[in-house]
Order: sequence, then C-alpha cells, then structure tokens
Amino acid sequence: MNRLLTYLFRTALAAILAFITLPLVVVVAASFSPTSAVTFLPSEWTLQWYAALWDSRWLDPFLLSVELAVIVSLASGLLGVLGAYSVAYAKCPGHTAIMALLLSPMSVPQIVKGVAVVLFLSSIGLYDLLGTPGLVMAHIILTLPYVVRMAATAMFGFDKRLDRAARILGASVTQRIRYVLLPLIRSGLFSGMTFAFIISFNNIPLSVFLVRPGQTTLPITVINHLEYSLDPVLAAVNVASLLFILGAIILFEKIGGFSAQFHGGSK
Amino acid sequence: MTTIDIELLSVSKQFGANRIVDDISLAIPKGKFVSILGPSGCGKTTTLNMIAGFEAPSSGQIRIRGRDQEGVPPEARKIGLVFQNYALFPHMTVAQNVGFGLKMQGRPREEIADGVSRALKSVHLEGFEDRYPKELSGGQQQRVAVARAIAPSPSVLLLDEPLSNLDLKLREAMRVELKEIQEDLGMTFIYVTHDQEEAMAMSDRIIVMQGGVVAQEGAPADIYGSPRTSFVADFIGKSNILPASAEPGADRNLKVSLGAGKAVLTAARGDDVAPDNVRFCCIRPEAVRLAEAAGALDEPANRLTGTVQKVVNLGAYIEAWMLVDGGITLKSMIRSTRLEKLSAGCRVDLAIAHSAVQLLEQ
Amino acid sequence: MAVIICSTPTKPLRAVVPVKGLLPLIAPSLVLVLFFAIPMGMMIGISFQSQTEGSPTLASYSRFFSNDLVLAGLARTVVMSGLVALCVTVLAYPLAYYLARATSRWRTVIFALAIAPELAGVVLRTYGWLIILEDRGFINSALIWTGLITEPLPLSKNLFGVVVGLTHVILPFGVLSLLTSLQGINPNLEKSAQILGASRLAVIRHIILPLSVPGIVSSFLIGFTMAASAYATPALLGGAGFKVMATMVYEQVLFYLDWPFAAVMANVLLILMLAAGFIGSRLESRLHQKLHL
Ligand SMILES: Nc1ncnc2c1ncn2[C@@H]1O[C@H](COP(=O)(O)OP(=O)(O)OP(=O)(O)O)[C@@H](O)[C@H]1O
Ligand SMILES: [Mg+2]
Repeated sequence: MNRLLTYLFRTALAAILAFITLPLVVVVAASFSPTSAVTFLPSEWTLQWYAALWDSRWLDPFLLSVELAVIVSLASGLLGVLGAYSVAYAKCPGHTAIMALLLSPMSVPQIVKGVAVVLFLSSIGLYDLLGTPGLVMAHIILTLPYVVRMAATAMFGFDKRLDRAARILGASVTQRIRYVLLPLIRSGLFSGMTFAFIISFNNIPLSVFLVRPGQTTLPITVINHLEYSLDPVLAAVNVASLLFILGAIILFEKIGGFSAQFHGGSK
Repeated sequence: MTTIDIELLSVSKQFGANRIVDDISLAIPKGKFVSILGPSGCGKTTTLNMIAGFEAPSSGQIRIRGRDQEGVPPEARKIGLVFQNYALFPHMTVAQNVGFGLKMQGRPREEIADGVSRALKSVHLEGFEDRYPKELSGGQQQRVAVARAIAPSPSVLLLDEPLSNLDLKLREAMRVELKEIQEDLGMTFIYVTHDQEEAMAMSDRIIVMQGGVVAQEGAPADIYGSPRTSFVADFIGKSNILPASAEPGADRNLKVSLGAGKAVLTAARGDDVAPDNVRFCCIRPEAVRLAEAAGALDEPANRLTGTVQKVVNLGAYIEAWMLVDGGITLKSMIRSTRLEKLSAGCRVDLAIAHSAVQLLEQ
Repeated sequence: MAVIICSTPTKPLRAVVPVKGLLPLIAPSLVLVLFFAIPMGMMIGISFQSQTEGSPTLASYSRFFSNDLVLAGLARTVVMSGLVALCVTVLAYPLAYYLARATSRWRTVIFALAIAPELAGVVLRTYGWLIILEDRGFINSALIWTGLITEPLPLSKNLFGVVVGLTHVILPFGVLSLLTSLQGINPNLEKSAQILGASRLAVIRHIILPLSVPGIVSSFLIGFTMAASAYATPALLGGAGFKVMATMVYEQVLFYLDWPFAAVMANVLLILMLAAGFIGSRLESRLHQKLHL
C-alpha cells in the first residue's frame, strides 16, 4: 500500500517535471533545426539561425531591451532604497500606510497599468513619450514595489543592535550607514534589482502598449513575428535571450552576492 | 523474571560517511523507566527514530515485544511518542488530538470518548477537551501530548526531551507527574534527555551515550557511584577528575599517584580495574570532607592538608577549591553550616575515604 | 540618503529619523504619483467620458454590459482563469510537498527545474507550446505518424491550448506559495500521526491537507489573478477566435482607439482582480482562524 503510494507519487512528480521542461527542450531543439517547419526531433542540426541573429532586425530590439532593463533596475534600486529606508526607520504613525502605498502598484494587473499609462500620455498629448521614455516610466512602476519589498525585508531583518554596537564604538551616522547598514542590506537590494532587470527584460503586458515602430523591445518583436509564423530563427532568439538573462544573473551574483540570502542570510 | 519489551541488537546508523549510532545493543525491560542520557548530537534522537520506525538501521536488528521490526512502518509498531515541542495538531481540539490514535484504529465513538477522558484524567487535564492547543500553556500542551500518546495504550512510550521547553519549576513538577503516570500505567518509558539530574530523578535505569556508543548502562546509583569512564564521571554530577597512575599497595589497596606524582592517595581495590591500566582518578566533591566532620567516618581514609583557594556559596552547600599539598587542586562540597570557618587562605585538614577514590581506564 | 542625514551628524539617529526620515520618500512618492496614481485616476476619469458631449456619463459602462461579444469575453476570462488556477494548484501541490520534505541531493535540482523556467520569460515558453500543440506540431505529427489519428487534434487556438500554456507559465508561482505553506507544517506532526497509527493516506487527509488549505487558497488566487490579466499566452495560443479581457483591451486601445470603452474594460478587469484578491485574503484569514494556526 505504502509502496504503491510512493510509486504513484514519484510517477506524478516525474510527469509534472516533464511538463515543466518539455517546452524549453522543444524550443532549444527547434533552434538547431534546419527546416522552417518545426518537426519533432529533427534529423539534422544547424547553427544557421544563430548566425541570422546578427542582424539589426534582432539586435536593435535586443539593445533597446537591455538599455531599458539597465535603466529600470538602477532607477528602481535607487528609489527602492530611499523608500525602504524611510519605511524601516521612520517610526511615524503612517509607517504601514506608506509601505502599502509603495506596494500598491502590485495589486493592479499589468495590462491595466499599461492601459492607464498609454491613455494618460495620449490624452495629455505627449505622444512623443511613447517608446523608450514611456517604457521606462511604466517598467519602473512595475518593478519599484518588488525592490522596495526586498530592500525593506533586508532592513527589517537588519539587527538594530548592530547599529547600537557601532555607535558605542564611536561611529557617526554616515559611518554607520556606510559601513554597517549598506553592506548588510546589499544582498537584499541586489536581488531586488536583479529581479527588476529580469522582469523588465522579459516584460510583455506593459510594453505591448508603449512600443512604437523603431522602438520595440525584444519580446514584443518576437510576439509580433510569432503571430504569423513559427520561424526557427525565433527559437534561436529565445534561446539567446535566455542565455543572456542567465549570464546577467551570474554577473549580478558576482557583484552582489545575493544568493547568500537564500542560504540563511548575510551574517 | 522480567520480560524484555524492546531490544536493540548491534544497531548502527550511518548518514553518508558519518556513523551516528555505532553498534548499540540494549535490552529494555517491560514496565521500567529507562533514560537515554547524553550530550547534544550523540545520537539519542536517531536511536529513538529507529525504534519508532522513522529511520531504518544501517545494520543490526530492532525487536519490539520479541518481533523483528524490519520493514514495519511506524503506524504499525504500536508505540507512543512524545516530542520536545509536543507536535500537537493545531487544527484539532484537545479531545480530537487525544482521540486521534483511537480514531485511526477505527474504534467506535463512545470508546474514543472514553479513552480520551481516561487519558486526560491521568494527566490531570479534565475540562480542557474543547480547547485548541494554542489556547493552552506550555505545561498543559505537554500534558496533552502525553495524553495523546498514552490514549491508545501502547506498551512503550518514547519521550524525546519532553520537558526541555518548560521552565525550571514546572519541569521539576512534571518530572514527578511523569514518573507517577508511568508507575500507574505500568508502561515502559524510554526517556531521552541531556539533563542528568532529570535522568537521575526519574529512571529505573540509565543508558549513557557518547558519540554514538553506549558509555555505561545501569541503575542511577551505580552510574553515579561507580562511573566507568571519565566521560561518565564528568557528565553525571560534579567530580574531580585527575590524571593518575596506580600500583599495588598494602592491604590489597592501590597506591595512586596524582599529578606529577607528588600527591599519593590510597584507593580501595576494585575488581574491574587492573592497576596498569589506570589513567584517571575520580573523586566526587562531597567525598572531599573536612577532617573534623569525617571523624565519625568508619572506613579507612586518606588524610591530607591543604589551603582554601576560593569559596562559592550555593545556599545549602558551599563549593570550595583546595590546593592540597603535592600541588593538586580538589573541589569540595561542604554543608553551609561550616561556612564561617572557611575562607580563602585557611589551612584545612581533609579526609577522603579509600572507597571514594575511583580509578578509571579512560 | 546619506547626504540628508549627515547634515546633522551629531544628533542620534532616532531623533533625526521621524522628521527627516520621511525626506527620502519624496522621490519614490513623486514617481509613484506621476507615473501611477495620476494615470490610474485619468483612466478611471476617461471611462466616464462620452465621445460626443463633455459631461460625465455611464454610457461606456452600459455599452459594456449590453455587448454580448464583450460579456462572452469576460465569461471566457473567468472560466479560463478558474481552470488555470485549478490546474496550477493540482500540479504544484505534489511538487511543493516534495520540496518541503525532501532532504536528498535531488531537492536542489528539482527546485531549480521547477523555478528556473520563470527566467525564460513568457514568450519562449508560449513558443514552445505552440510548437508542441500546433496542428502540424509535435504531438499531432507524432499521433498522425503512429496512425492513431488522421486529422490533427484541435490542441491550440482554443481554451485547451491557452490553459496548458498559462498553467505552465504560472506553475512556479503556485509552487512557491504552496511551498511556503507546506514548509510551515511541522514534520513532527506527520510523525506523531504516523506513530498513532495513521497510514500515509490518513496523514495526508487528516493533517497535511487541512493544514495546507491556506496555501491552496493562495495558490488558487495567484493562479486566477495572473491568468486573468495575462496577455501574451492567450493572444498567441488562443488565436483570433479566443478573445479574453486582456486581448480585447489591447484591441480597443490600439486598433479601435475607443478610449472610454478601453478604460471601462480595464476598470472591469481591475475590479475583478481586486474582488478576487479581497475575497481571497478574507478567506485566508478566516481559514487561519478556523484552523487555529
Ligand atoms: N537525517 C540526517 N542526515 C544526516 N545527519 C543527521 C541526520 N539526522 C541526524 N543527523 C546527525 O546525527 C547526529 C546525531 O543527531 P541526533 O539528533 O540523534 O542527536 P541528539 O543526541 O538527539 O542531540 P540533541 O540532544 O541535540 O537532540 C547529529 O550530528 C546530526 O547532525
Ligand atoms: Mg535530539
């Protein structure tokens, strides 16, 4: 009886994991497939689709997406630290209300935020801001709450006795912030910013309203093509951008060392 | 003749390359209160988990009521278990918690209600049936955990440091109660603890574990009175443990040289230690007496003189460190009535009975 | 931040903070108001605008609630989201339970497998499902090759395809929320139940399931709200015939340029989300009380 249950459970787990990995495997396989009709298990392999990526058709949107993700993660990192600092340290009555306010964009679906921003820009006549400026604006609203939350968690987790210990040793406020607070919340902040980078880079529901010809992000470019064909070059684009994301995460991890926080904090 | 309830035959447990339990053999008699005592990480919980069936031994055999338990899952072993943090089901009332075991056996409702009230009565918790665990104090939760474990009337109850979350007063009260419950029910208790006082107070037998092996097993008084290793001597109660060597002396006694060999004591010869193998000597602090009080001592004793170095008042007793001629320091436990006479720097005459000088091989 | 504080370095931090501690908030608040609050307010305002006259009107709302096509889209959104939430929770549960209890080396691998697809973004995964579910795709060509079917099964461009794709996209979130809940259940509770005679099934039924109900609710809620506001997956896997609120809003804004109507649709979607969130959080706190956690 117990053995049967264990067996069933293992089978279910394997099936679920297969479900999770299947589409990824299929896309990777498709990116090496020579025919444009994607069949299951191609018999020949080719790198031609990867070679085809070196083309402004893909490079321009890629560069725009990278630019956007960098600006957005830096800006939301800065704003997030400011917000989280106030929330964690200000002992004023509005403390929870401020936090709720900073997190409020989270409870509005992305597509609704997108509509709001595009209607706002259009109805005050600032059509020119569609494209990069509008994208930056919308993405910051999207990522700010996550960064605030992660930075605030790190600050609440920050042992205030450390601040007192530094103080009794004669450290000034600036010194304490510079040498005690910032190093300790760094990993929380960096993971928030990495998260912001990924969200911005992969975003569709907001970007779809705000792109304009010549200023289109990579995911939107891919969807626009996908509506018409399953061109294998799209598989190569997808795989390449996944590799880019992984590379970025590894780079950020090297700089920020945030993964320590998944193993029991930065102590 | 006593029947054996639980038997471990050369049981070992390995996690990866670490041998956590190493070739343990035990026989636990029915109806006795047996403690497994040892420092943190010595493998007590692992041993208990193997008896309960949550871990399979890497080698060896576990028998419960004479039957080999290999492949028998915990739910079929018919034993009770009480955890350190109680592990009460938070979404069930006290009555539902206590009745859970009977319900799993498919007993009819009246029988469950009966069993619940009997179990609650034996832990003095009548009237709490409809409370939820979080509405109870720590001590009450503890009682519910015990009631839940005894309600299905298992023949053996395993308890893993059940009192360590309680404050000192409550812990002392619960000791007495647990012992009473055990005696009333005639159940076998296997009680895991790292508190030697607790083990001494409650147990019929104590098993001292160290690093995955049994260091010593026996009645509490035997373990206290004649520890077999310096580890046991140190772990159970307070003691002076000194490096020593021995050679045969007069009257079938042994001559024991301590420290650098300047201090020499006489020890009553035990049967189990060969003089050549002696490495340590253990003297309990209460056996280091002031000579005047030891006047009535009707056994042969070592007479020493020394200087009091430090005195610490513990209320009923004082603890004094004496630098004895020959250069060794002995800790002594003395009734407080003599406090006025003792202060640092005093010269004192000391007496240590020959039988109180214990010789150890390791 | 440092600059603001070091202007009064001699005063203790506590004393400085209540007054000046709020200063760093100015920048984020400004961004929030300018980029979020005002646009949201305007969108709500626009939903009451009429296309011809100046005074506020409910005309767009009544158009919304009398348009059968739009209402069908709303119903489709709710049904789709409910199904996705169900699938996500059912598939995430065993995975989360395994992750909550396992101690073996495999745990890390399986955790990475369960969560990493999130990095790949929605497009890659939806593209993968398109390849798999298409008429000439992976599954259909395999089935036709084996001779089991002669005509391709309709696996994409319909509800089925969208639910499969969205379940895949949202599954990691379901796993994470169930994992939090299952990790909160003391493993000793399971051991206690077992030693009291409960079989594996009885342990699941009497201990694990009841105690993880809050996690189930939150996984369902996350599944529902994420599915209801998803754009790319329904657009690609649903095709032209399967319109949901998100894709319809997009068309209103960019093709029909009917802003008041687009604003109404966005508001309805928002209200749907907020209502689901509200009901969910009420339910969760009720459950916590009921389960005496
Ligand atoms: N599942 C496991 N995998 C690997 N090592 C384990 C496992 N369970 C226990 N150990 C190790 O076995 C050793 C003994 O653990 P055990 O829990 O039996 O100690 P204990 O005597 O009960 O200690 P304590 O008094 O602290 O409860 C510890 O070093 C622990 O790290
Ligand atoms: Mg233990």
